[in-house]
Amino acid sequence: MLLRLIRAERMKLKRSPVWIAFILMPIVPAVLGTINYLGNIEILDSEWYSLWTQHTIFTSYFFLPIIIGIYCAYIMRLEQSNHNWNKTLTMPVPKSEIFLAKLITATFMILISEIWIGVLLVISGKIIGMTAALPFKDIMIWCLFGSLGGMVMASVQLIISMFIKSFALPIGISLAGGISGLVFLAKNLGHIWPYSLMAYGMRSNSPQQMIESGYLPYVIICITYIALFSIAGGTLMNRKEL
Amino acid sequence: MIKLLRCELLKMRHKYIFLTLLAITAAGLVFSLYGDYSGEFIQKNGWCMMLYQLPLANGIFFPIACLVISSRLADTEHKASSYKQLFTLEKRGRIYDAKLMTGLSMTLLSVLIYWSVLLVFGKIIRFYGEPPMELYLRYLACTAAATAVLYILQHGISMLFKNQAVSFFTGAIGTFIGVFSMFLPQLPLLRQLIPWGFYGALQFMGLYGWTSEERYANAYLKIMSVDPAVYVIIAVYIILFYALGKYLFCRKET
Repeated sequence: MLLRLIRAERMKLKRSPVWIAFILMPIVPAVLGTINYLGNIEILDSEWYSLWTQHTIFTSYFFLPIIIGIYCAYIMRLEQSNHNWNKTLTMPVPKSEIFLAKLITATFMILISEIWIGVLLVISGKIIGMTAALPFKDIMIWCLFGSLGGMVMASVQLIISMFIKSFALPIGISLAGGISGLVFLAKNLGHIWPYSLMAYGMRSNSPQQMIESGYLPYVIICITYIALFSIAGGTLMNRKEL
Repeated sequence: MIKLLRCELLKMRHKYIFLTLLAITAAGLVFSLYGDYSGEFIQKNGWCMMLYQLPLANGIFFPIACLVISSRLADTEHKASSYKQLFTLEKRGRIYDAKLMTGLSMTLLSVLIYWSVLLVFGKIIRFYGEPPMELYLRYLACTAAATAVLYILQHGISMLFKNQAVSFFTGAIGTFIGVFSMFLPQLPLLRQLIPWGFYGALQFMGLYGWTSEERYANAYLKIMSVDPAVYVIIAVYIILFYALGKYLFCRKET
């Protein structure tokens, strides 16, 4: 049933402008970040790591939270318009699975956004003739952990978008969440706040350092948050009035 | 027009649109003003230092405010599919103008609130001396001009496209380019031509002599020259975005 619901969510996204944005959005920091890297090559001497910082520093703090906010608001938009909740909630499917299907769809979009960011990093590095060996394992970790942290954010944003009919308001909240994440990161509490986990996992500010607390606690915290918010989202959807 | 504006205000009731705007402004203020103000250099040059640091925060928060407010105002009609009915009661152009005036005046009010809080904050922190009002008024005018261009552009996009994701993605990508353009002094044309880059293009306070080793030991702040062409480009964009948006909206099929 869950797979069929995921397929239904994918059909809703067919030919949507989300995909154009998904292609275009990461190209901007890739191009401008690479130009900035070339302009400051004397200071930025850690090759791939410095380039990753240039590509992702603003992306992870401000723009990926906004993008996730848009993804989640868009995924809920069809239900929010024209009383479509009536159809969705009267379908003979477990309501909690509807929430889960939406979360998996959002996560899939976040994951491919992260992979695209990683691919653009490699392309940019090759174009500017970077000589150091490609830190493939690190790139994989940044992208996967970024996606995991992004999934936490998406689970919160889906709940917000489920209750707020407006398309714009949840995105504003997402931006505020991203800023709050920045504050938590500055206070060394990035590993416990749902809105800072993505930037924390992507290591934009210090890509050469491993996560201080280690990878396992980070994964456990993310999974705990995802489970909590998914249960909350599923329960709230079960109780949602027509 | 007064009646139309009153209608817009009535439609905004219980939608918390102005509250949303205030929340974004508050987030911008927290981001701009959060920091350590204990150093001697900061205390002595606090007023000018703020003018140097603020355009970056402005380039993130005011574009977001513009796109959220314009989208919410336009979406009220999109969601209810009420444009067709409205067009039977009033001219399309006047509806476009009324929504623009409502949203733009609210957004500019938030710029004014932001600016006033900066002055109060500087007084509370006790920056040395009185605020240089001439420079602060210039900063207010520059921020308001850049915000007005963006609002007019976002208003046009939000009114034209039923799917507000288009407006949001355009705004988000533009903001992204705008913020990056402030870190690329080698590409001045980027911030001078892209509307989201105007906050950087109009920045007139520069910090010189700062190094990561010596920090503020040899640092000083100086007024930079702004390319006069930027003012012309802003004026042209305001007219162009308004005229084009209104023309396309008036011809749009509903």
